[in-house]
Amino acid sequence: MAAPVYPAWVTRWVSGQWRNKRRPPALRPPRPLALADKVANRREQSTEATCITEMSVMMACWKQNDFNDAPCAEEIRMFHDCVAKAEKERKNQNEDTLSSRGNLPSSKVNKLLRRFPQITRYV
Amino acid sequence: MAAPSAAGLGRRLRAWLPRIMPVRWSRYNPSYLEPEVKKESYQKPLEELTEEEREQMELKAVRPIKAAPPTLSSSVFSDPMISKFTNMMMKSGNKVLARSLMSQTLEAIKRKQLEKYHKAPENEKETIECNPYVIFHQALKNCQPIIGLSNITRGGKTYQVPVPLTDNRKRFLAMKWLITECRENKHRRTLMPEKLSQELLLAFNNEGPVIKRKHVLHKMAEANRAYAHFRWW
Repeated sequence: MAAPVYPAWVTRWVSGQWRNKRRPPALRPPRPLALADKVANRREQSTEATCITEMSVMMACWKQNDFNDAPCAEEIRMFHDCVAKAEKERKNQNEDTLSSRGNLPSSKVNKLLRRFPQITRYV
Repeated sequence: MAAPSAAGLGRRLRAWLPRIMPVRWSRYNPSYLEPEVKKESYQKPLEELTEEEREQMELKAVRPIKAAPPTLSSSVFSDPMISKFTNMMMKSGNKVLARSLMSQTLEAIKRKQLEKYHKAPENEKETIECNPYVIFHQALKNCQPIIGLSNITRGGKTYQVPVPLTDNRKRFLAMKWLITECRENKHRRTLMPEKLSQELLLAFNNEGPVIKRKHVLHKMAEANRAYAHFRWW
């Protein structure tokens, strides 16, 4: 219900009109007191970059060995494994479940709310 | 009176005709499967197949199969990397010329290696690689960069951020660098097979301008490693 509509005598009794205590109404809602069917658009916090440690280890190895690939084969292999794992993780994550921070993006929330809108009037 | 009616007819007809211009994506129904070209996969007896392969065979019995493209071949001499490289060398659709250049390159590599082989003393003969396909693959592998740079804009300024590359992108960059190097930095009279064979042999030994270009990219990525946190993937 947009705003619960009570019979007129209830409103008058609550406002204290019959007891000489009539005061101006405490609340004058500019809009109906009901939840809207959408949330505000919020900029989604970006996730962090993956594989930074492996990359820095690999670059340190490169600096020592003058950017040859042969002595750094182990670090390069580790970097590749990390990248492959991160890629698989990204593909497998389902955006309909909660993200890593526990928030749903606002577009998904709006889609859900549109499926179950707030009932404003009973027919 | 004929002109407006002809224009209206044309507009209505255009909406009705199916698209006749070629498109870049595939027009196949998603249920179509890729064709299996390798002969070995059909010669395996039924017992040796794993569970997934058996399921795959059963699926192939009921689903339609896409037409095999003309570049896909079941011959022992065909190599997908060589085909890709040939296509990248091709100009204006002249596949005949590109293929002949590629075969001349491989022949030139073989000749140079055989010359070295016959001139080398006995103990060094095993170390000299004479198979041009092996040299080609190893040279391409040596030319592939490991991280690349990508432009990311933050607060109005564009930064070069070190970023891991996919396999396809690495292969593409290696081939592209080789081809541009051979097209631009050669004497007017040297032919492409000669120059390409030279570059491939240098890359096989981890020397040469293409390897230097890869090292330059790695150095730039190392210099910009502070911006690595700008990535969000």
